[in-house]
Amino acid sequence: MYLGDPAPGKEKMSTPAIEIQNITVRFQGKCVRQNFSMQVNPGEKVVLDGRSGIGKSTILRCLMGFVAPETGTVRINGQALTPESIWTLRTQMAYVPQEVDLGSGQLRQWIEAPFAFKVNSHNRKNLDRLPKLFDRFLLSADLLDSDVSKLSGGEKQRMAIISAILLDRKIILLDEPTSAMDRFAGKAVLDFLRSIPDSTILAISHDQAVLDLADRIVNVS
Amino acid sequence: MGIVNIGIKTLAAYYLLLIFPLAIMLWFKIPIIGKTLIAVVRMTLQLLFVGFYLQVVFEFNNPWLNVLWLVVMVTVADFSIARGCDLKPGRFVLPLFAALAAGTTIPLLTFVGPLLHRPNLMDAQYVIPIGGMILGNCLRADIIGIKNFYDAIEKSEKIFLHTLSQGARLHEAIRPYLRDACRAALLPTVATMGTIGLVALPGMMTGVILGGADPMTAIKYQIAIMIAIFSGTAITVILAILMTIKSSFTPFGTLDRHAFKGRS
Repeated sequence: MYLGDPAPGKEKMSTPAIEIQNITVRFQGKCVRQNFSMQVNPGEKVVLDGRSGIGKSTILRCLMGFVAPETGTVRINGQALTPESIWTLRTQMAYVPQEVDLGSGQLRQWIEAPFAFKVNSHNRKNLDRLPKLFDRFLLSADLLDSDVSKLSGGEKQRMAIISAILLDRKIILLDEPTSAMDRFAGKAVLDFLRSIPDSTILAISHDQAVLDLADRIVNVS
Repeated sequence: MGIVNIGIKTLAAYYLLLIFPLAIMLWFKIPIIGKTLIAVVRMTLQLLFVGFYLQVVFEFNNPWLNVLWLVVMVTVADFSIARGCDLKPGRFVLPLFAALAAGTTIPLLTFVGPLLHRPNLMDAQYVIPIGGMILGNCLRADIIGIKNFYDAIEKSEKIFLHTLSQGARLHEAIRPYLRDACRAALLPTVATMGTIGLVALPGMMTGVILGGADPMTAIKYQIAIMIAIFSGTAITVILAILMTIKSSFTPFGTLDRHAFKGRS
């Protein structure tokens, strides 16, 4: 599949949600991606595929402004990613990294923490959706009172995805979202992602079930 | 009853007491004899230099000379902090200087002025020793606070970046680290205040008593200097961290490793 071709039926009708043009990215002194381009249209589900270490995660980190490209441009909903705009652009995206670190303390405190930030405070009522989301993601409600250190890898991953969903962002970036989950939990997560057609998803995965969810697979080579 | 002077020959003989620690090091083969001897020589030479300089400063008691000495002390402390925290001096010398100057000057001037009612706010007899005590504690607190702050962010980088990804502005993302760094920097002084006088007489009290003052006067000085030190360390730590942030984070809010030695 040619990089940048939208899925049939989702040809470019509006401003791309994510547009990457000829970026060259270095990470820890090494050139990870050179002249990389792609775009994701609103509502598309795109999965990046490719061998380990090729720079897929770096692309997501680039979109979040954690790694600045040496050359090229990144646009989110048509707005160029700059040091000034990144603070606004991050409020349009939700990012779930591959290795989730919940830190320490009670899970309830962790899930509530983002709503203390000014930009998320108006969405605090979304926490009311937790019981339903826990149900859908096959998580026990008792977990909320647990210490985060007691959660399994799969539980942590599902909590990170729930946290991203609660922020109500239109663009969701997922790095290996089901890597630590058993197939039941993975299916529950993917079923949910299928149920939000308006959301734009850019994911990295080797999981065939995630690849099956995609409108388009971009092979990063 | 004034202070008893120590004769040069008597002091030289007193160095013989070092036989005890040196003998212990030799017997148990503790490999720091060289370092110890160098440290003793450095201590002697440095204090001799400071003693001669202060003799001149006290004789002149010129406010501008006294300010200059304070500036020198703050500058030395400034570079010590940068070195102790692995910060590249070029970026941080000025903000650290400002933080140290504020943390030292505010309690110092309130000590010498409103508290002691000295007509000359830059009276060497008070400014040099009191300023030195406050500054020494500010230096220690700054190193603890700044190191704690940046080390914690680096160690929990994933959590920090996740916070940014959730829409936090930089001041929101650093808040928990700032809180922990201040706690770490202030706790030693809090602990000292809580136990002061129970184990040994603190330095200020000892000095004032040796100088001939009665114990009640000495404890008033001790209370005042503890308040000055605690206030100064609180001021300097929060300012030092806040003022170094601009030079230590990228415009995207990530930690700028080029600001630190050995991390870029």
